[in-house]
Amino acid sequence: MSGSDNQGPVGGEREAAEGGRFVPSRRAVLVIGAAAASTVVTVRPALAQTVGSVLNCEIPIPQPAAGGSYISPQGELVAPGTPGAAPPLGRPLRGEEVKNLLRSGTTPAGVDPTSAQAYANYIRRLQAGMSGFTCYASLQMPR
Amino acid sequence: MAGARYIAEPESEVDAVALDGLTLLFHTPSGMTHIVAAPAPEILDALRGGPADAAELIRRLRLRFDFEGNESEAAIHARLDELEAAGLVRRA
Repeated sequence: MSGSDNQGPVGGEREAAEGGRFVPSRRAVLVIGAAAASTVVTVRPALAQTVGSVLNCEIPIPQPAAGGSYISPQGELVAPGTPGAAPPLGRPLRGEEVKNLLRSGTTPAGVDPTSAQAYANYIRRLQAGMSGFTCYASLQMPR
Repeated sequence: MAGARYIAEPESEVDAVALDGLTLLFHTPSGMTHIVAAPAPEILDALRGGPADAAELIRRLRLRFDFEGNESEAAIHARLDELEAAGLVRRA
């Protein structure tokens, strides 16, 4: 809103009298404004690009610092070879795969379905500072 | 001489949220969000009654509002130009 010469919107209402007769309804006052006073600010969808990049971000499972660790069904890091735990995933999951996995349980291509839930729980437990956290956090943002 | 006639984007394609004196308009087809102040929402509403030129638009607005200050067709045209540039109205 660039108007500064008292051409801003007027939200007030007033009792109106028309032809000397009291009009009970309150009519709003509308300022059409000077030609120079803009009333529209447009926010262009830079978000569209952001969404594309979010869906292409990647989450390694587990993060490289914990390379070799297995993932328990609850999503915790456990020692390699722990019975019932899922082995490290050979490739990072892309944002879109993670979104589908978390929202609808869709197993990403090439991922063992029985391990998918452990990976999903690992992702849910990601915290700030861990590899993949920013990607996971971005996926949580409403579009 | 009749001026250009304008129509507003259909209400079904514009989600509106009132925000403390301003109105946020999300135009679904373009994905753009517009922050508008009076009289933009009122003009859009008036244009949803059908195509109108500036004179007709002023007539419609007068049915519902009192005017204060500049209410010339030139001022209405300035508002319509903004709304047209934003993609919220177009020439009929």
